[in-house]
Amino acid sequence: MVEDYLKEDKGFSPRDVMEEASRCLLCLDAPCSANCPAGTDPGKFIRSVRFKNVEGAAETVRENNILAGICARVCPTEKYCELACSRTGIDKPINISMIQRYITDYESCTHMSVLKKAKANGKKVAVIGAGPAGLTAAGNLALRGFEVTVYEKESKAGGYLRYGIPEYRLPNKVVDEEVKRIEDLGVKFVFNTKVETSKLLDELKKSNDAVILALGFSKGKMLEMFEDNKKVKLAVDFLKQVKEKKGRVRVPESAVVVGGGDVAMDVSLTLKKLGCANVTDCAYEQFCEFRASKKELEHTREAGVTILDGYIPEKVTKSGQVTFAHRVIKSKVVIKAPLIVLAIGQVSDFSNLGIKLEDLNDPSYRIKNTNVFYAGDIAPGDKTVVYSVKTGKEVTKAVMSYLKMEVK
Amino acid sequence: MLKKDLSITFMGVKFPNPFCLSSSPVGNCYDMCAKAYETGWGGVVFKTIGPKHYLIDEVSPRFDALTKEAEPFVGFKNMEQIAEHSLEENLADLRKLKKNYPNNVLIASIMGSNEEDWEELARLVTEAGADMIELNFSCPQMTSHAMGSDVGSNPELCKKYCAAVRRSTHLPFMAKMTPNITDMCDPAIASLEGGADGIAAINTIKSIINVDLNKKVGLPIINGKSSISGYSGKAVKPVALRFIQQMKTNPKLKDAEISGIGGIETWEDAAEFILLGCKNLQVTTAIMQYGYRIVEDMKDGLARYMEKEGVDHLEDLVGLANKNIIPAEELDRDYKVYPVIDTDKCVGCGRCVISCYDGAHQAMEWNKETRRPHCNTTKCVGCLLCGLVCPVGAINAGERVLKEGRKPKNLKKLVLQDSFQKL
Repeated sequence: MVEDYLKEDKGFSPRDVMEEASRCLLCLDAPCSANCPAGTDPGKFIRSVRFKNVEGAAETVRENNILAGICARVCPTEKYCELACSRTGIDKPINISMIQRYITDYESCTHMSVLKKAKANGKKVAVIGAGPAGLTAAGNLALRGFEVTVYEKESKAGGYLRYGIPEYRLPNKVVDEEVKRIEDLGVKFVFNTKVETSKLLDELKKSNDAVILALGFSKGKMLEMFEDNKKVKLAVDFLKQVKEKKGRVRVPESAVVVGGGDVAMDVSLTLKKLGCANVTDCAYEQFCEFRASKKELEHTREAGVTILDGYIPEKVTKSGQVTFAHRVIKSKVVIKAPLIVLAIGQVSDFSNLGIKLEDLNDPSYRIKNTNVFYAGDIAPGDKTVVYSVKTGKEVTKAVMSYLKMEVK
Repeated sequence: MLKKDLSITFMGVKFPNPFCLSSSPVGNCYDMCAKAYETGWGGVVFKTIGPKHYLIDEVSPRFDALTKEAEPFVGFKNMEQIAEHSLEENLADLRKLKKNYPNNVLIASIMGSNEEDWEELARLVTEAGADMIELNFSCPQMTSHAMGSDVGSNPELCKKYCAAVRRSTHLPFMAKMTPNITDMCDPAIASLEGGADGIAAINTIKSIINVDLNKKVGLPIINGKSSISGYSGKAVKPVALRFIQQMKTNPKLKDAEISGIGGIETWEDAAEFILLGCKNLQVTTAIMQYGYRIVEDMKDGLARYMEKEGVDHLEDLVGLANKNIIPAEELDRDYKVYPVIDTDKCVGCGRCVISCYDGAHQAMEWNKETRRPHCNTTKCVGCLLCGLVCPVGAINAGERVLKEGRKPKNLKKLVLQDSFQKL
């Protein structure tokens, strides 16, 4: 019920975290660290925990990853650090995300403030979008003395972190805390402000030394057959509504979810937690090629969501009867439900800025001949939070070298 | 469970098996000892009985543990003294135990502050029906300096008190030694000269186990203060084995019967004490942590070991390792052993490379591409630290080479300790 939606799983106890850190082989070359896009350096922070220096671990984590508490909860670590873990050769990888969560929870409980406000360097940057990439870039720039203003279309910072990822997986309290750390570095936020025309963008370009676009993929994809169907909702809209209302949303007895990524899992599990008895998720991919992380898939199945892999929607009626066909075998499935949620991917939404996605593929993170930079989902690479942290860090360096500043 | 006769005669008394509770909190009253017998312990050393005039007044709390990573008990600190029940109650418990468990061995531990005390206590426990007596010369946390480890580090006192006990009992008795001394042989020899039939070793080691960093006081904290007291558990096993070996190889003690104590948790620990010459074994710390039930696997494991060794009498294993512990100057120093790496087992953590560089001779080299180590034998001295740190047991003893200018010998095929392979 609502409580299930609002409650996060328990974190490690001091004993649990020591037990897990003791499993770490403390590798010579820490392949986990080499495989973290954000450079959070698990090899170093796990060693600090193992040698009873949790505060030192917190410093490592926070200095390397300004959204470390969020990443600890939402990062698909099985695809990054844990994929590289040498311990896999013995049994299973170290549970790095849970160790990181213990460290950031400790940091939060003990009110540590690792990052300190820097002396102003006289340069101004505008960041458009307060999602993971925008927040990371803003924080990292502020740490180097920039005067940073973040423009955000919503009334609060966080982007998909706040308005997308369900409360049980990422409580907004954690988002608030991480945003507060960035605010404490002197970053200014201008909310309810959508930079939606090229004229507005031009003004920011003129009044700032650089502008960073961190717009994200905030618009849910639609399929033609579902357009204007009253039974259909887009996943991003559904998740946003549930999170804003803190789970106090009526759900029907049954629902169909379309999609096989983490967002589809989030929607399915959220429905289940809110009391929807029959949730069926139909995914384009078969299990052998599934996109959602193992962890999320596992949780979703444990909760009793029926997942049909390899099925694509063929047609839908106004009354909400969807026909799916299997991509490989001869099989059709017909499900009628009062709610159909589409979680088939997201797209960017900035055509009226006079910019095309194709312009955004330079390793310098800069649009040619402008002082406009970009980071996050709209930059090339994985569409994950940790990747947004990576590009958020890298765009900071790109801005500095563009402004001929020494990059440290 | 393997059926095997584990009985063994120690100081003339036949034990159904060598495992005993040591004189400590684990054998503090009738009910505890009765439960221990029922669980399968061969004997109990009832918690040390003191003289009537010595009043026990304990602190609270009184224990602390040394931990490592997620390991809850590496070592254990105890501040509890001898039995806190009245002399009459203790004697009544002894009588009842002997009456209800005639086939198990009952050992009375006693401690006096002068010859009269020792004589009196020995007489009383003999009358109560004990099968043998242990003289506690070694508790390091007594509130009286006339008692405990201050006695055990003074050979003259050991001899005098043993003689006093000898005068008042016909029972066999052993003197329990303190490790808080450079050479345990002196008090042990003095005890035998005084009339003791055997030796028990070791009692706990004087210790400060942890210091509270905020309050700046040792643990456990008793109203803001702490004291030095006895340390026990797995961590002390190597110290115990060393003292026992030194006694067993001293010409005056080689025939002495020894009850081994110090960090015994498993049948393997037990077998080690037996191989170094112990005919009897005593346990406390592991019982405090896990309960009397641990004796089940100790007995079964020991029986299986006897089976593998082709031995029908436990006696036949006693002291087999003593001859293989020799002075350092007599060890063969003519060769070195290079490590051999099992690449199928290796998981590529590189810990051997780190330890070899930082703790040995920079011989283990690292291939960054394959993420695997290999040994550069021009630098390797054959210390095999690499094998000890390897978390998967992928490194073993490999090729043996003679050092330059040494004559070849007929060496048996060298294999590293079993503990290497088990990891």
